[in-house]
Amino acid sequence: MKNASPIQRRAFLRSSSALITLPFLESFGFRKFASAATVAAAPKRMVFVGMGFGVTADRWYPDRKTVGENYEIPEILSPLKKHQKDITFIQNLMRQYSADGHSGSTFWLTGANRYAIPGQSFHNTVSVDQVAAEVLGEQTRFTSIQLAAKNPSDSAGDGHGPGFSLAWNRSGKPMSGLDTPVAAFHRLFSNDDTPLAERQQRLLEQRSVLDTVLVDAKSVSKKLAKTDNEKLDEYFESVREIEVRLAKEEKWLGIEKKVPQDAVKQPGESLEGFEEARMMYDIMVAAMQVDASRVFTYRLPVNSLIASLGATMSAHNMSHYSEGERRDVSQSRDKANAELLAGFIDKLKASKEADGSTLFDNISIAMGTNLSSVHTLTNCPTVIAGGGAGFKHGRNLVMSDPKTPLCNLWLSMLKGSGIQVDSFGDSRGVIEELFVG
Amino acid sequence: MRHLFHLTPFTALASFLVLSQPLLAETPRAIMPKQHQVVFDKYCMDCHDAATEKGKVNLEDLSFDIDKDIVTAERWQKILNAINSGEMPPEKKEQISDAEKTAFLEDLSIQMVTARKVLSDSGGVITLRRLNRREYANTLEALLGVRPDVSDLPDDQASTSFDTTGASLFFSSDQLEQYLTTARQTLELALRPRTPVESKTIRIEPEEELTPHYAASAARMRDTEERSRAFLAQKVKPASDFGLLDEYQAKKQRVQEWLPLMEDYLKRPETKTGATLIMTIKEGGATKVKLPTLSERAEGKYIVRVRAAHYPDAAERFHYLEFTSSTGYDSGRTLLGWRKVTGTLENPQVIEFPIEHRPGEKQQIWIHQRTHQDRGDKNLATIDMEKNGIGTPPGLWVDWAEIEGPVQDDRITQAASALLFAKPDDWNDEHYAREVLMRFASRAFRGEEPAADFMDRLCQQYAANVAKGQKPTAALLGPLSIILSSPSFLYMVESTGNEDSAKLTGAELAVRLSCFLWSAPPDDELMRLAKSGQLTEPAVLKAQTNRLLADPRADRFVRSFTYQWLEMARLDMFQFNGVQFPTFDNAVRENAREEIFQTMNLMLTQKLPLKTLLKPDFVFVNDLLAGYYGLPGVEGHEFRKVPVPEKSLRGGLLGTAAVLAMGSDGQRSSPVERGAWVLRHLIHSPPPPAPPNVPMLSRFDGQPLGARELQKAHQEQPQCAQCHQKIDPVGFGLENFDAAGLWRDVEKINTGGKKLTIKAKLGQSFPIDPSGTLPGGTAFKDFFGLRDAVAGRIDKFAQGFAESLVAYGLGRPFGFADQTLADTMLKQAKAGDYDMNLFIHALVQSKPFQTK
Repeated sequence: MKNASPIQRRAFLRSSSALITLPFLESFGFRKFASAATVAAAPKRMVFVGMGFGVTADRWYPDRKTVGENYEIPEILSPLKKHQKDITFIQNLMRQYSADGHSGSTFWLTGANRYAIPGQSFHNTVSVDQVAAEVLGEQTRFTSIQLAAKNPSDSAGDGHGPGFSLAWNRSGKPMSGLDTPVAAFHRLFSNDDTPLAERQQRLLEQRSVLDTVLVDAKSVSKKLAKTDNEKLDEYFESVREIEVRLAKEEKWLGIEKKVPQDAVKQPGESLEGFEEARMMYDIMVAAMQVDASRVFTYRLPVNSLIASLGATMSAHNMSHYSEGERRDVSQSRDKANAELLAGFIDKLKASKEADGSTLFDNISIAMGTNLSSVHTLTNCPTVIAGGGAGFKHGRNLVMSDPKTPLCNLWLSMLKGSGIQVDSFGDSRGVIEELFVG
Repeated sequence: MRHLFHLTPFTALASFLVLSQPLLAETPRAIMPKQHQVVFDKYCMDCHDAATEKGKVNLEDLSFDIDKDIVTAERWQKILNAINSGEMPPEKKEQISDAEKTAFLEDLSIQMVTARKVLSDSGGVITLRRLNRREYANTLEALLGVRPDVSDLPDDQASTSFDTTGASLFFSSDQLEQYLTTARQTLELALRPRTPVESKTIRIEPEEELTPHYAASAARMRDTEERSRAFLAQKVKPASDFGLLDEYQAKKQRVQEWLPLMEDYLKRPETKTGATLIMTIKEGGATKVKLPTLSERAEGKYIVRVRAAHYPDAAERFHYLEFTSSTGYDSGRTLLGWRKVTGTLENPQVIEFPIEHRPGEKQQIWIHQRTHQDRGDKNLATIDMEKNGIGTPPGLWVDWAEIEGPVQDDRITQAASALLFAKPDDWNDEHYAREVLMRFASRAFRGEEPAADFMDRLCQQYAANVAKGQKPTAALLGPLSIILSSPSFLYMVESTGNEDSAKLTGAELAVRLSCFLWSAPPDDELMRLAKSGQLTEPAVLKAQTNRLLADPRADRFVRSFTYQWLEMARLDMFQFNGVQFPTFDNAVRENAREEIFQTMNLMLTQKLPLKTLLKPDFVFVNDLLAGYYGLPGVEGHEFRKVPVPEKSLRGGLLGTAAVLAMGSDGQRSSPVERGAWVLRHLIHSPPPPAPPNVPMLSRFDGQPLGARELQKAHQEQPQCAQCHQKIDPVGFGLENFDAAGLWRDVEKINTGGKKLTIKAKLGQSFPIDPSGTLPGGTAFKDFFGLRDAVAGRIDKFAQGFAESLVAYGLGRPFGFADQTLADTMLKQAKAGDYDMNLFIHALVQSKPFQTK
């Protein structure tokens, strides 16, 4: 049901023009309003960026003694200095059920307790981006977009832990991510040349495939005991999810994908590490310009990132830094991530919405991970940015409770962005300090 | 039992009594000893009694039955974390005395482990199992003759200790789409029209490309040197007249430090007719002989031949050819194997190396010297160049290399013709298609007939494809990939059938057995015996178990079980620095891993006692590993038994490079990791998991300290001491082995220089004290003493082995209800000196294995 084969896909991409520019942004939803000659408020958006292994703890966090606005951005994060007024560091956030020192991303956006279900050794719950997408994603072609650099499966990989992206669906099952800039570019911007009737036919066929596997699932279900049927429910649920996706696809079938105002160069096949990450950020900006989606998660590369910075060690080696080469690599990784984020913010600030505001004014960005450093799981490194949730930025916030749930931040982002929820994960309430100066 | 709440109180009570009585007697409880109430009373209740309840923590209503429920267990976990991290009691308050703290933490951390086990115990229930990634790939290969590319599917090992655990094998919508895609791609490869590719031999003369390449490099370097010197020798003309930027550049370039290596290469007469394998820094790295690309359609077996010679004065590791392969765009190089060259320049030898080439892939084969994971070889070459003015002395010369093939793989053709059998003349296309789909579905569903309405659907799909203008074979691809993405295929369905009999049917037992020992579906013989009902007879079942174990497919059991049982993933967790550990390269790492698998395989085929893994009188190695271990007289790449004396360093898991390297971080040996590994896997006395957030021992940062000194820090704080006093002394016994598993008399450590690359600062040395104690008090003097002490606890080792085997084979974590099963297995196996086969037979013959 996905593209026939990678080889065909690549051939297709190569044949399409390498550099595309087209007139303007505006979403499907927006056009309807525009025709009524009103300017709608720009949409809210959210972006979550997960770093996997933790940071160089003693150099990454701003000094705890200088809280509020009079703080200094640490030297290894110097690229962020120009945005100091528009970003906020939050300290003392953590996840109460943390136990695994190699899973920086698995529970980062969910707050779940891995052992919550008796008789199971692994359990997760919905991630905050997916809760946001249920509301923010209604009017866009893609309900949400998951970007996730390939996570080497051997060894401890990139320190992200189990999962295919940062996102986990309503039943706590992992959602897959687009793992290369080429794949992301294709999904977001490449138009299908197939005639409409044929594409409609294809949707019909995909539905028919689902109907067929469901017939078998039902006959299997009859043979099973209750506990096994609970397991088989995962299969039924997966079918339902695809059906929902197909229904949305059908709605958008006649509408061409838009191409962003800033030319997005078609990414090369071989981008890795730093350049790969930069391209992924660019693709997110471009996708926002055409309003292809409003909720994004990005699981950063770590092994390939440090390799592209000249390191010859694995990411796991780096994460166990002590004085010497490992620490140098760890710090250069921190700086690279700061530089990438700063570049992303630059572009968001430069992108105007139809109402005169910028993309940055309407977005909420959170960058962080569940691991602080090595195997320490307290004070999860967290930096947030953007005006979407109504946060007052430019501060170093140190929560008075050293065990403030990360989910309090996720709840604050949801509520600040106008999403009506009472709680999220193990949240105990919003972080009031974010909303008042 | 897990659904008591669905029953009426009376039946619930009744079934509880009936079902649980025998289990209750076996099930341990996680109860915090009441004596620790004193700690609460003395240090905690000021703030955390019911009245104050500071931070909403109330210890008064906390049950000491930790395993009461998950909420209670979480509350205790938080107490454990708070005390471990030093958060509680707060600094300003009275601190818990060391003795009380140690005792409290020791009991609590051990009880927490039990509580987690109790609370995640499945009570003997085996949850519906999905084929894990390995089983899925093997099954597709068995059905279609083609091994699928499963790199886009989850590897299923991340969230559980064994990838056979049904409850932890999840399913998502993305996966469903991926299954459909993978099935279709594999079917396309399996069923595409095959034109026989004629076998041919292509020979490469490497000097044709390499000698001109190095000659050009030498000429360019010489020219740069001459221009730089000419410019520096005068003061009139500007640098640009000499093609140079400035004086600085000229000074830097007037000596080309790698030119002597190029000249050395070119003046060797043998490079006129072949290639010497050297290491260059900017001229392409290591010399690589590249064979012609194998195309997507030329699958099959190939033979690579290399005519080569060795240079006796090079280091031994440079006498091996390394064969690697690269496929596709983004994958790196795969290590294929190594061959030692003994031929000389006067009398070179021809070496043969077999290659498999999969359909649908482009593959390139490379031949070169042994490599490191990092830039180790380049850094070592630079160090050598600084010493001898040239570079690393080369070890090999290649006259020519050739590749012959393909010999096409019959399995693909056989599988394809079994699937698309010859159409009887009197059948029309629809009839034929229905029959093809029917037969394939029955095989894919492991003997279960597909339901009639499912078949109807598949046939409709086929008809629709034909109506669209697809040829009959192409029109089958869609419905066939649906079969391979349906629950009947993806899940090992064990029907409850008759509610009061939980016994597996013959076919279900056959599937469980073949998944256990082959990670693949049953073959025809096993299925036939299952269908006829004979398989459930103990003697037949035993004979079949033996047959499966003797089959080459049992290698999958050996590898995947051993890898997960001994936590061998750790071998890839850290990179080793090539300069610090020059001989621990990719070849040694791969062969060290292989040593463990090959030894396990030997134990199985030769029915050796389990003790062989602890203290044998032989090692099972090949030439390459013997070279690493310094064992003389081993020639050839096959693993074989090499007898060793009583006081040999090698022999047994504890002396293997794999286990020792796993107990390091790629820089230093870790008595903690090694000690914990021994406790966990060899003497079945697992320490509680390392608590997160324990303050790092950072006051030693940057100070060069020996292992003993560093570990002393663990004794300073009660929260560390309570576990580490058991772990560290075991690890000390292995301290005479460095991070890469080589013997050392003193510990040399890096003193924290900025870069540990070219000039490794191996400054300080510390004496090694390898004495220690096993928990329970067996003291040992050194490595040999440790090995003997561990071997003396063979019963414990056997118990851990049995528990892991039960978990792997039944597909659920070893639970308390399984203790009886483990005891039976141990009893039967002990009678035969703990032969591994006996454990397997005892498990297969047991009731749990044959019950839903």
